[in-house]
Amino acid sequence: MKYQHLFVCFEHDDGHPLSVSFEMLGEARRLMNDFNKKYSLDEKVITIILGHNIRSLCNEAIEAGADAVIFSDHPELRYPKIVIDTKIISSIVRDRKIVSEAAQNTSPDYVKPRYMFFGADSIGRHLSSTVLAELESGLASDVNKLIIDDVMITHEHKTKGKAEKYEKTLFMYRPDFSGFLWTQILCLDNKNPEISREYSPQAGSIIPGVFPPIKKDASRKGKIVEYEPTFSGRDLKIRITKREVLKSEIPLEEKKAVVAFGRGIKDSPETNIRLIEQLAKQLDAEVAISLPLSKQPYKVSESIKSTYFIPARVVGTSGKKISPKLYIAIGISGAVQHIVGMKESDFVVSINSDLNAPIKDESDVFIHGRLEDVLPALIDSIGKLKGGK
Amino acid sequence: MEKYDVAIIGGGSAGLAALKELSKLGLQAVVLEAGKPVGSKNVTGGILYSKTYPNAKVNNVEDVYGDSFLSDAPLERKITKYYLNAVSGNKAYTVDLTEAHNYLTNYAYSVLMAKMNKWFAKHAEEEAARVGGGIVSGVHVSNIDRQNGKTIVEIDELDPIEVSAIIAADGVNSETALITGARQKLEPESLYQGVKSVVRLPEDIIDERYDLKDGEGIAHLFAGDISRGHNGGGFLYTNRDTLSVGVVYHLDSLIKSPIEPYILLDSFLRIPLVGNYIKDEVPFVKEIDRDLPKEDQLRTKFGTSKLLKSWEELRYTYYSKTAKSNAIKQGFYKDDEEIRNRLQETRKQLEEKFGVSFITNYVELEYAAKIVPDGKRAMMEKPYKDNVLFVGDAAGRGVFVGTRIEGINIGIDDVARAARAIARAKERNDFSEQYLGKYYGQLIEESPYTNDLRNVDFEYMRIFVNACRDIPTDSLNLFLRLGFALLSKASVQDLAKGIAKMLDQRTLLYLIESNEAYVKIPIEIAEKIGRTVERDYEIKPPSIEDRIAKIKISDDPEPHIKIIDPDTKFIKSMVHLCPTQCYIMELIDKESFKSQVVLQHEGCIECGTCSKETDWKHPKGEKGVVYEYG
Amino acid sequence: MGNSINVAVMIKLEPDLSEGNVSYNPDGTLNRSQTRSILGAHSAIASRAAFYSKVLYDSNIKVCTMGPPTTDVALRQSMEICNADELHLYSDRMFAGADTLGTAETIKTGIERMGSIDLVISGHRAADGETGQTGPQAAWKLGFNFLGNVIDYNIDIETRTLHAKRLIEMQGLYNVLEEIECPLPILIAVDPSYKERYTTVSQRLKYVRLQKEAASRAQNYKQFFKIWTAKDLGVDPKYVGLPGSPTIVYKVERIPKAKASRKAIVIDSSSADELNDLGKKILEMVNSKG
Repeated sequence: MKYQHLFVCFEHDDGHPLSVSFEMLGEARRLMNDFNKKYSLDEKVITIILGHNIRSLCNEAIEAGADAVIFSDHPELRYPKIVIDTKIISSIVRDRKIVSEAAQNTSPDYVKPRYMFFGADSIGRHLSSTVLAELESGLASDVNKLIIDDVMITHEHKTKGKAEKYEKTLFMYRPDFSGFLWTQILCLDNKNPEISREYSPQAGSIIPGVFPPIKKDASRKGKIVEYEPTFSGRDLKIRITKREVLKSEIPLEEKKAVVAFGRGIKDSPETNIRLIEQLAKQLDAEVAISLPLSKQPYKVSESIKSTYFIPARVVGTSGKKISPKLYIAIGISGAVQHIVGMKESDFVVSINSDLNAPIKDESDVFIHGRLEDVLPALIDSIGKLKGGK
Repeated sequence: MEKYDVAIIGGGSAGLAALKELSKLGLQAVVLEAGKPVGSKNVTGGILYSKTYPNAKVNNVEDVYGDSFLSDAPLERKITKYYLNAVSGNKAYTVDLTEAHNYLTNYAYSVLMAKMNKWFAKHAEEEAARVGGGIVSGVHVSNIDRQNGKTIVEIDELDPIEVSAIIAADGVNSETALITGARQKLEPESLYQGVKSVVRLPEDIIDERYDLKDGEGIAHLFAGDISRGHNGGGFLYTNRDTLSVGVVYHLDSLIKSPIEPYILLDSFLRIPLVGNYIKDEVPFVKEIDRDLPKEDQLRTKFGTSKLLKSWEELRYTYYSKTAKSNAIKQGFYKDDEEIRNRLQETRKQLEEKFGVSFITNYVELEYAAKIVPDGKRAMMEKPYKDNVLFVGDAAGRGVFVGTRIEGINIGIDDVARAARAIARAKERNDFSEQYLGKYYGQLIEESPYTNDLRNVDFEYMRIFVNACRDIPTDSLNLFLRLGFALLSKASVQDLAKGIAKMLDQRTLLYLIESNEAYVKIPIEIAEKIGRTVERDYEIKPPSIEDRIAKIKISDDPEPHIKIIDPDTKFIKSMVHLCPTQCYIMELIDKESFKSQVVLQHEGCIECGTCSKETDWKHPKGEKGVVYEYG
Repeated sequence: MGNSINVAVMIKLEPDLSEGNVSYNPDGTLNRSQTRSILGAHSAIASRAAFYSKVLYDSNIKVCTMGPPTTDVALRQSMEICNADELHLYSDRMFAGADTLGTAETIKTGIERMGSIDLVISGHRAADGETGQTGPQAAWKLGFNFLGNVIDYNIDIETRTLHAKRLIEMQGLYNVLEEIECPLPILIAVDPSYKERYTTVSQRLKYVRLQKEAASRAQNYKQFFKIWTAKDLGVDPKYVGLPGSPTIVYKVERIPKAKASRKAIVIDSSSADELNDLGKKILEMVNSKG
């Protein structure tokens, strides 16, 4: 058996694992459990971790569903460098010796992986491309649904028009650019004798936030194998000279509900923001601000300031234009610049102590009162309603 | 450090003409313009004049740009008729001022500044490229520094440059004036606030409605009860397939009794006479049914959008002789009839398939505002400091005398003089105020425009009064009546001049620019002898939110304007007077109901209304307003 | 010029998805025949990045793409942006149906035929395919270094090193700004937020001058334009087109989506009962599907 196992390329930022790694392992675990059952095999989920001081991640990976971990720990690998990482990953997956160490039942004929997963993010998208170029096989990017099955394919080129059976095919579903359609991508051998070729692994980059990780299981056991990386002189000339974490991006456009606040909070900013956080949590809403708040006008704790008083949260002509199902404007007077940013919302509720606030003209419901009074009552009422369900 | 002969601060019509002139004289000049594209912050009424004075030479735009100007430039229409309308309610009385308009005029064309500046830029840049100069847009000059006798221009976005001389062509809100200390900010008494709407109307419809042919155009001025008592008036100029419509009022009057500019603009548009002038057939798209599935909603939205686009293209082709013949020549359509049929079919499809209805309204393309200097009061007596020369609006030199309104041509003439002075300085390598500045000042004194800003032109007054001869004078103020009678009788002209010289220009100014002249008398005239003009549709101007949303503004995250003292009457009036509502009154203390003015600079269109009592600057490069029409 | 660098740009022709231009079929899929094709937005950014190298380093720029003969419009549009010196179109029935690996092979062969190339620039991804794979795969096949998500770059011609700033997104939680240096030859994929910065007056003036030149060159673009067939390139047929493509599109189907709904009720008060009703309404909105 030349092609075995599902390899997952684990992603982390300087030792902090990215959630997509556990999501990939979760889905890999589920798929391979079904696969092994269906085909009476015992192929493994093997994860590859490259980094520096990342040994603790190996155990986490096992707990998250991996059967084995092959890792390289080296200062040169602390941050991802596509060229270097590609070489190491490709070497690992083609190294029968090390793969056999990780997965005892690896066939003596082992050549390459059967399946491979990467994260569909800044790092993973490019890494997956170069690794698959090196392994000379197929890649589907931005996958959000996976199925392994046998299938009969009739294809002008791949099967020279005949009906051929492809076993253990990975069906990779990816949404298209319009968002309405699912495209199914398959990576298939050329069975047409004229252009005969085997393509393995079948690989996909996985959209973060789609697949659930499995429940962490500390009782799970797995094999952890270290791989010694080698670096060419040319590789070592690739140097990161500076690395800076920038303030977070808030995906305002993606949430169904948005709770926004403005200068109405100023009497007791911290207390009021806590109330707003509560409401947002109840509704699984993202928190937004009106423009003036991004200038950090009130004295609050450092964590509140850096979490909320940031340009990424601004709704308006200067920030984001959003159209959520539900928009709640708290203590926002409704400057024209702000209205332009939220007028496409489906349902707008505003809370303001000033009956003449312009936001009233852009609301479906206007609650006249102090937010210090209205918010607790609203939170209470919603809490009871949710509890009752 | 890179070195250039001249830095031209501001790339409007004057700055670009300066580049052309300096380049022609072999000087290496660079235009530093905050907007992008160059000239996109320029706003004009607007009409571009070319003048001839009997005893002095002016540099007209065709002198600067050469023969290609008249044949090649994107001039809208040649203004051959000029009218003043006195209005009150639905009554209007029209005076033909074409003779006054033609006085000393070679020609006058309606223009849209953004388009015009593109042409100016292309030609100025070609000339400049030959000597190593050019235009840099999207940059903001932050300071002018003197180091060891060198003049250093500091720019927010670029490394600094060294220059020998500077032309300040940065308009009425000139920052250069303040950086150099050459003058104080202009007082509201010497400024007008202008608010404008560019209205779309097909070319042939304009021809028909205004009785024009072959690229002719018409200018209408309005005075009377449109202004809620403020001193000023309205204007309507025909462009090729658009109209420039707007109002201009004394800023000090507006500060005293503040009212939103867009309210004044809408009042003006609601005058039956004006409404009838600007109306058109407008598609009305109904709200998409939100109960439909999201894909169907999107499909309907895209489908309607695309079909409307076709309808508009067809309509504007059909109602334009030139567009129609071009389209047929290029083979897009077989003939007239095919276009008409396609137009009708598309309209029918819109009505039946997408439920679009067609109503009478007007189509507003762009809302704009700007402060205009009244040169009689604002003109800099010393338009230079060291090696910095001030031109056009930056020098406060706008001509605004009753019905005579000129700006662009003054800036162009000024820069021609500035260029001459700089070339002379370069020959001696002496850019001192003594040699360069003073000489420029002298040339400006010699300019007939400077004379116009100081002294009343009696011939112009005589022509004006003559045009009004059919108006019964009993309704007029006695003083004025006397004045008119004196001026219209040729035989006593000398006597009139003598008397007028005894009254200083200020008094005469009062007569011309009094509330009587701008408001009360026109109202009386309209009511007493005006014709009735009935409104034949209900005009629906866009809301201020829609107007603002349509203007292309990219906000600088850093505020470019800061309030100095929020408690002054001036600042409080800005809550009403800012054309894009950047100033709001905010409750700061619930117990005592104390409110304070707060500025949200996002949405600022840099008109300058608030500049007097704020720390006012243009936004940093490539930020701020970009006018499409200007 | 002895010291200048040779730059190649990979671009793509894509459907114009802007409102008023795009056409959709009744089932929501793109109606390609009714939607015109233009230079892809990311390809335009790649072109801008290439132009930067011309203003700063007087580089020689060759733009290339794979597609049918009508793809020349994308090459011309790219030339308008970057003042390209040559336009190469790889067009052959043999290339058709290729996935990213097959395409990368063709492009790689094309770039090798350009002679010595120091820098290849590709866009982040295409509007319709959206994989973002072709750039890095071509880099790998060429044996070049690769950097993605580049938002700014400069080249030290002496040491033949590229200095880049990269923007790495950590799954919507935060972003990392990385400064990295990498020896030539290299392929960079420019990030959508790539912003070229010209910091002196002379650079700005040169920019304008070269842009004008680009506009007039683009008018006569056919002079600079060459079509390469499979034979011209000398590709191995096994590695290009459908034969050289591991993946196929098996099926396309509608993603099931629920109906959206909207109601507009106006309430105005601060009384307990009405707040409660509003609470119900709010939960309804938040919990509804679709």
